Amino acid sequence: MIDTLILPLFKNGFLSPEANMFFALIMGIVFGFVLERTGFTRAQHIADAFYFRNLAVPKIMGSTVVVASTWMIIFSWFGWIDLNLLFTPATYIWPYVVGGLLFGAGMVIAGYCPGTAVAGLGTGKSDALVFLLGVFAGMFLYFILYPFIADFASSTNLGVLKLHDLFGGNEYTSYILTVALETGIILFMMLLQKLTRKGTK
Amino acid sequence: MEKKYWNPYVGGIVLGTMLFLTFAIASQGFGASGTFSRMTAQFLVDSDKSWLDNAYIASYFRHGDNALLNWTVVETFGILIGGFASALLAGRFIFRPDKAPSYPMPKRFFWAFIGGMIVAVSTRLARGCTSGQGLDGMATFSVGAWIFMFTTFASALILSPLFKKQWNDEGEAS
Repeated sequence: MIDTLILPLFKNGFLSPEANMFFALIMGIVFGFVLERTGFTRAQHIADAFYFRNLAVPKIMGSTVVVASTWMIIFSWFGWIDLNLLFTPATYIWPYVVGGLLFGAGMVIAGYCPGTAVAGLGTGKSDALVFLLGVFAGMFLYFILYPFIADFASSTNLGVLKLHDLFGGNEYTSYILTVALETGIILFMMLLQKLTRKGTK
Repeated sequence: MEKKYWNPYVGGIVLGTMLFLTFAIASQGFGASGTFSRMTAQFLVDSDKSWLDNAYIASYFRHGDNALLNWTVVETFGILIGGFASALLAGRFIFRPDKAPSYPMPKRFFWAFIGGMIVAVSTRLARGCTSGQGLDGMATFSVGAWIFMFTTFASALILSPLFKKQWNDEGEAS
């Protein structure tokens, strides 16, 4: 008699570490392929979102989150997946605020984020290569700075904090909030795009 | 002849389903920034063991002497292959930078490097980037992911006028 099969496979011991590594390679290849097909490998496309010229990037990100969480809620409803076993980063309020402000600056300056730059390098983008060299330099800088900022970096740690921990309810509350927020943000951006009249798509 | 990019919502359905599959099988989502942190740490430790005195670097070597035996590192290698394969098949593989035609190349490279450095530091504070926080965190309803994405977008919007010339020449149709 085997245990009842329940997702996620790896955490529940249905997948060997070696098989999981092989799966990582396959999923990475598919992820890189889709990033290229959707235009994420173009720094200009990503930057266009900040000028409301082309909203493809926020539209894809928003619908990705909605679709992924819809699958999760359906599978959880039938008891096929244990959502608590999925890795979620803990919430550190102030480090995330500062991290986000810096990340936004870096993105609008460079036009890439780490994942899109890797896929972009695969498509032959020379600036993606330079960006990634900068990323290595930045990591080195962080290691050097770490002894001085370690206290700040681990401050205001709230642990794994989900939307429904904040507003009450359960995963379904979080799901409804997520869909509403993502839809609202995309519609609001489309409205801003209309108002600024810069949009072509 | 260049192919057109996918419709954004079609892209979202494909990417969202893939993200769910990744969680359902590997128990974690996509990632990228951690790979560069681990590669840098591994390089430093290989060249001089005393780098292990650094608490951040040491955290990667708690379970062994190879920081690169990691799910996200392997997946990031896949992203490179996938991007290459897709560009090749779509006739979009071409060695060049992404910038406005008249924008000088050295300046573009300078900003790409500086931006990369800032992004790297920020991902350590934020425990992830647009993949680990923006996609994985949001899809698992994390409050931190929303804090990160809101501040990211606010900061990018405020600074965007300063870097406009990099992307489009004046009067050029986008």
